[in-house]
Amino acid sequence: MAFSKNKDLESDQTKYKSLRNKKFFGLVLNRTVVYVILMFLAVITLLPLMWAVAASFTPLNKVFEYTYPFQFKALLPNDFTWEAYQNLFDRGMGNAIKNSLILAFSSVFFGGIISALAGFAFGSFDFKGKNFIFAIVVITFMIPTDIIAIPSYMLVRRLGWLNSYTGLIVPSLAHGMAIFLFTQFFKGFPKELLEAARVDGASWFRIFLSIVLPNSKPVILSASLLLFVGQWGSFFWPLLVAPTPKMQVVQMAVATAQGEYRTLWNELMAGALIAAIIPILIIMPFQRYYIEGISGTGVKG
Amino acid sequence: MRGGVFKNASSLFSSYLNVRRKYMKIKQKNLAPYLLLLPALALLLVFRIYPMISTVIESFYTNNLTADAREFVGFANFTRVLSDQIFWKSLKVTFVFNLINIPIQVFLALVVAVILNSRARGISLFRSIVMIPIAVSPVVSTTLWKTMMDYNAGVLNGLLALVGIPRQEFFLVKEQALWSIVIVTAWKGIPYMMIFFLAGLQEIPVAVLEAAKIDGASSWQSFFKITLPLLKRVFAFVLVTDTILNLILFAPIWLITKGGPQLSTNLIMYETYRRGMVYGDLGGSSAMLIVVILIVAIVLGLQFLALRTDD
Repeated sequence: MAFSKNKDLESDQTKYKSLRNKKFFGLVLNRTVVYVILMFLAVITLLPLMWAVAASFTPLNKVFEYTYPFQFKALLPNDFTWEAYQNLFDRGMGNAIKNSLILAFSSVFFGGIISALAGFAFGSFDFKGKNFIFAIVVITFMIPTDIIAIPSYMLVRRLGWLNSYTGLIVPSLAHGMAIFLFTQFFKGFPKELLEAARVDGASWFRIFLSIVLPNSKPVILSASLLLFVGQWGSFFWPLLVAPTPKMQVVQMAVATAQGEYRTLWNELMAGALIAAIIPILIIMPFQRYYIEGISGTGVKG
Repeated sequence: MRGGVFKNASSLFSSYLNVRRKYMKIKQKNLAPYLLLLPALALLLVFRIYPMISTVIESFYTNNLTADAREFVGFANFTRVLSDQIFWKSLKVTFVFNLINIPIQVFLALVVAVILNSRARGISLFRSIVMIPIAVSPVVSTTLWKTMMDYNAGVLNGLLALVGIPRQEFFLVKEQALWSIVIVTAWKGIPYMMIFFLAGLQEIPVAVLEAAKIDGASSWQSFFKITLPLLKRVFAFVLVTDTILNLILFAPIWLITKGGPQLSTNLIMYETYRRGMVYGDLGGSSAMLIVVILIVAIVLGLQFLALRTDD
């Protein structure tokens, strides 16, 4: 009895040992494979950006000197110059950045407030017709705005809002995705806190300002970043409703820089980088909130 | 207000006050959510719901962008669109594109998420890098890859030359153009879909996976038997989102190929844009959009049926 038990133990130990060896090699191998894949992903992600940086600081006639066949020198500025950026700003890039920033920040501010109020109503109240109204929001959230762009354009034209900030901003202020985010957040907001303030006689407006908003920083950040990136990246709507140079946004400046016959590659890359770097810089310190905002519309939905 | 016999005026008055107070409170409580919703709802109705209805109405009228003459034409727009070879060709291209692109994107997004979910050293740096394209706009990501894949000077052809592969024409020939669009959309599309998988993976309790390990499950087994089934909901969401985004893909077509060469990349959203904004046939464009919306609805319905979660 005791003998066989011992034997079992022994065999268990050798089994464990061999398992550990296998595991050790498996782990090292796995880890190497993981790092190789990670490096590959990083290179694919960064390569176009690195080439764009190099090209944007290179005179036009030297942009493609090292790309065919590819040499690593192609990822460094060749004959460093600010020329491309200077030319871009001479042709109104500054104005386009200004327009895009005005649009993006007003979208964050006004759109954020409007969506937060709506999310507060959906998340913290029970009222008649709630499900029906929420269904409307979900429909607008599911149907992409591009599909209704042309009738929306006709509407904005009838309102006389073509080539104006109003026409660019107002139609997208109520944002289904942001409303959805705020609703999810306020559903988890402690009701006792609201009730207590209510008993003390505070108005809902005051409660919203002094209790709800200060306790909603994560969702405010997430929604603001989503609104900012969305508005900053929009191009189809500006293309339709604000085609004049004065109203040009950054995305359109990049799009129109791609000539039919001749492309100024260094300026194109400089423009693309300006358009890319601003949202990246704004998101970077708050990356967690941005990612949570995006995944929050899906996973918890 | 309510029927009641009051002995004297003062009690009548005080009870009136009580009722009034109660009434006011209820009224205010009931009104608050509507007031909070008012701005958002008004904007959604005017700028989202009205244009949707308007699309349906326009599809029964002749119209173009300049002339104000419009005429009710019944189903003429639909019959015209449905008997148009270009429309059917465009539908076919859209179908093929989605059949290629969605499985590729969803599969690779899952793979990348699993890798980024590992606890390797420096993983957060890699996560940040891989997620950069998500913040980059469609115009910019398209522009970058259009340049990367330029026939004469693109970096991609330069890299192919290193391994002895001749220049590829990418967007310039109809055999390669659609595949090239797949490559262009991957850079931003895969990380975007990956985020949902990564969030889903991180919600799986570590204890469950540890328990499986102790019970002797290999990592493959626990992945297929535990992780994947728990990701079913996320999977369904990703599939739906990716389908919508791909069915309405526009930026790369508009910026690179304009539907060509020989209509080989003429995806349905670009075709509706061309018809409506380039040729001024708003009625036909609206009819086409209705067809697109119906297709989206059918595809989503099928996906919901196929991936219906049992719980």
